[in-house]
Amino acid sequence: MAEEEFTDINGNSISLDCQTHSAFCREFTVTAPKLSLRKVMVCTCFIWLFAYAIFFLTENTAVLSSAIILTLAGMMIHIHFVKVDHETLLIIGSLGIQLSSSYASGRESTTFIEMSKLKDIVINEAVYMHSIIYYLCILIKDPAEPETVASVVPLFQSSKPRLNCLVQVYRSCQEILAETR
Amino acid sequence: MGNRRRGHTHAPKTPPLSLDTHSSDHEQDVKHRICMVSDFFYPNMGGVESHIYQLSQCLIEKGHKVVIATHAYGDRRGIRYLTNGLKVYYLPLQVMYNQSTATTCFHSLPLLRCVFVRERITIVHAHSSFSAMAHDALFHAKTMGLNTVFTDHSLFGFADLSSVLTNKLLTVSLCDTNHIVCVSYTSKENTVLRATLDPEIVSVIPNAVDPTDFTPDPSRRDNSKITIVVISRLVYRKGIDLLSGIIPELCGKHPDLCFLIGGEGPKRIVLEEVREKYQLHDRVRLLGALDHKDVRDVLVQGHVFLNTSLTEAFCMAIVEGASCGLHVVSTRVGGIPEVLPDELVTLCEPSVQSLCDGLETVIARIRTGNVASPATIHRKVRTLYTWRNVAERTEKVYNRVCREPVLPLSDRLHRLRSHCGAVAGSIFSFVAVITFLFLLFLQWLRPDHLIDVAVDSSGPHSRLGQHVSKKTSKTPNPAVS
Repeated sequence: MAEEEFTDINGNSISLDCQTHSAFCREFTVTAPKLSLRKVMVCTCFIWLFAYAIFFLTENTAVLSSAIILTLAGMMIHIHFVKVDHETLLIIGSLGIQLSSSYASGRESTTFIEMSKLKDIVINEAVYMHSIIYYLCILIKDPAEPETVASVVPLFQSSKPRLNCLVQVYRSCQEILAETR
Repeated sequence: MGNRRRGHTHAPKTPPLSLDTHSSDHEQDVKHRICMVSDFFYPNMGGVESHIYQLSQCLIEKGHKVVIATHAYGDRRGIRYLTNGLKVYYLPLQVMYNQSTATTCFHSLPLLRCVFVRERITIVHAHSSFSAMAHDALFHAKTMGLNTVFTDHSLFGFADLSSVLTNKLLTVSLCDTNHIVCVSYTSKENTVLRATLDPEIVSVIPNAVDPTDFTPDPSRRDNSKITIVVISRLVYRKGIDLLSGIIPELCGKHPDLCFLIGGEGPKRIVLEEVREKYQLHDRVRLLGALDHKDVRDVLVQGHVFLNTSLTEAFCMAIVEGASCGLHVVSTRVGGIPEVLPDELVTLCEPSVQSLCDGLETVIARIRTGNVASPATIHRKVRTLYTWRNVAERTEKVYNRVCREPVLPLSDRLHRLRSHCGAVAGSIFSFVAVITFLFLLFLQWLRPDHLIDVAVDSSGPHSRLGQHVSKKTSKTPNPAVS
């Protein structure tokens, strides 16, 4: 039931909430900071000032109305598809793993991976943009050959916690996986 | 190692080795964290690649931490682990020409900085003057205040336009590098002249071969005839034109002589013409390109190993030949006279006549039986060039380098301008300043303390092999055990 403060790879603070429902069932929630009002204001002001400058030169009101529509649409898309509020990893020893991420608008997307498909959970390294980061991922078995890895599902993709947070999640997941095997 | 420098200020999670802090009396025990950078690494095959791999393995054996940075080869990108926790970064950089990356001096900085910071690198060791990435890494490492070592694997000319240009670039790149390693004294002389260096900071450490890979096997020989083996790329530099002159002359004189030629290249057509003209199809066999593992099988079939190179910094092929118990006949060019003791090699001038004379004396000695047995030759060669010895000598270079200061920016600019001429010096001083500003920008954008320190897979704090890991072999994961 502990909630701890960590940072993501860009230095923004995120919190990790671990809930132990039973010995075989744990839930990890990584919560990113809320959409800050200041950032939205700055962004909006910037676009509108820019649009007003163009309007001043061209004297065409269509510029202003399109700027308003643009900010509104951009805002909607951002909170609906981009900005993730929290990501949850629910691991149930005998059943499988459920991953869900809820967006700022309230939209949720959920996937479930059965225990029989799951091979392991590991921490891996990857080149991401112009840096190299650690990430937690689930290895999926190839149904034909159980020894090989068919695909990799990265976890906490949008919050990108740093290594110390990943290690904590990894350890508790491995405890459960070890018990169920 | 003791004093953490600018650009490397992130306090490590694990405390620095107590041995590191008082360096002089514990000289032997200092463990370095080395990053080898070169465009050339496996899966690409060649001398530089195996040099980097073998050297890294021996350094890991000595307890140092080694990581390798190279560019991505096809879909081989990201981070891979090789034997003994040797970590390889295949960075997604654009390949320009001949497996060498494009150099702009800037675009590789973010990724290389990330590698250097997260692995807490203390020494950057760049390989091969053909590799743009190596020069980039040297440049960035100096900007970040890390010690630098450079190994040159090849000889260059001075006369033609491309040599003049590469020599200028080499001058710029090496003028503030802490130490340079060459593979032979000839190569050292060449590099010192090309890059106008102080010979004091240039060391000679030869290449090595793995003697267990190249053992003699006299039973594979056909003793009813005498076989001459040639294994090299069939290019002008390797003197294939000389070979095409030698073949008809010797085949005419000795009816029991045959040639076994391994390798591929643009000069293959010359050899095929000779074979056609003199009707030598049964006596000159062209094997085409050989895998490294097949080289030994070809070598043991011969009596004499012939090398006709016109220029060579350090000839690995003749060491491999001698290690398989063959008598070596070679041209006296570049660093070749240094490679083997006189009783194992017959040196000739690079002309058809001289090489024929040399080969004839060796053939005469073989006919009279007045030659050392393959096993004797192998025993002599076995101890000459070993990778452990190379690693030991490289370690000494590292120990010396890590005590040297890294020039601050103002001194570097002064050095560049006084050393590299007015025009090139000024241009590269400007580039150095821009790179420095770019580094400051990156440090602001993504401070060092936000970059996770990587878990060591080799070296004194290695996490590999501590516990029996139940991880899959495809993604070995030292982070957690």
